[in-house]
Amino acid sequence: MKTPADPVRDYLRAVEREASALPADRRQELVADLAEHVEVTRAERPDATPGEILAELGDPRTIAATALAEAGRAPGIPAEGGAGDPARRGKVHPLVPLLMLTLSLPFVMVFSESPGPLFGLLFRIAGVVLLCTSVHWTTVRKTTGVLLAGVVPTVVIASWNLSSGGPAGDTPALVGNLGMLALMTGTAVWLWRSRRA
Amino acid sequence: MEPGDSTKQARAAAQLRKGVLEYCVLALMRDRPRYGVELLQALEDSGALATSQGTVYPLLSRLRRDDLVTTTWQESASGPPRRYYALTDSGRAALDEFTRVWPGFRDAVDTFLSTPPPSTGDHA
Repeated sequence: MKTPADPVRDYLRAVEREASALPADRRQELVADLAEHVEVTRAERPDATPGEILAELGDPRTIAATALAEAGRAPGIPAEGGAGDPARRGKVHPLVPLLMLTLSLPFVMVFSESPGPLFGLLFRIAGVVLLCTSVHWTTVRKTTGVLLAGVVPTVVIASWNLSSGGPAGDTPALVGNLGMLALMTGTAVWLWRSRRA
Repeated sequence: MEPGDSTKQARAAAQLRKGVLEYCVLALMRDRPRYGVELLQALEDSGALATSQGTVYPLLSRLRRDDLVTTTWQESASGPPRRYYALTDSGRAALDEFTRVWPGFRDAVDTFLSTPPPSTGDHA
């Protein structure tokens, strides 16, 4: 059944349509606010026609554009941006690079057979890259972290392996590895504590 | 007047309004809670702050989400219940801060508008 033309209903539908980019709850709240405004104004100014009241409210497009602009600046609504957006890069949880750096060594200690050390090295490199691109630390802290948890252990272990050539399982190698592990863990703990929110 | 002139004037007014409107809305609630139509009427009566009325509702919605205002429903003798907007403590703090900085801001703009620009030395 077709109801007679209702300018208020048409107006509210136009607002809803123009504001389709808004989250549904915001859009419904906006339409409810405007509907309420019309009801209250009708009660207070019985002489005003719906057309007059709607004209005062303004163009649905303007209202929708304002609502979108207000939603864009509110916290909790993510800013627009693609995967390559610098604002999104580095949003990896701060634990990820720290764990990758620290765990790369015990991984190699456990899997010391052929592909193990390669994966360990890749793990460590990925950790360094994630640490450097993270938004959670200053450049100074990142540099210190890369040196202490990445470069120093890698150089020390590599030179140990090249000079002695001994199996990683004997006691001095184990002590050396544990020393490096302590250094990496300590650095990771320090980075974790000094991270920015 | 050229049509372009009136558009530019409207743009200047719109820019200014965008910056101060939310503080004027907060100021309207300083002494007592107000309902939406009441707020819009006060803005309309002010002249300079009159705006397409519907655009104030998204602003009120944001003020509510930002916890600067709270809303309560109150019955009315005439017509439907009204949603009243009242300042929260942080809303009052934001209004106080604006009240503090506004005179210096206004005076600085007045100074720029009323005095000739300072000589750069080249034209001395």
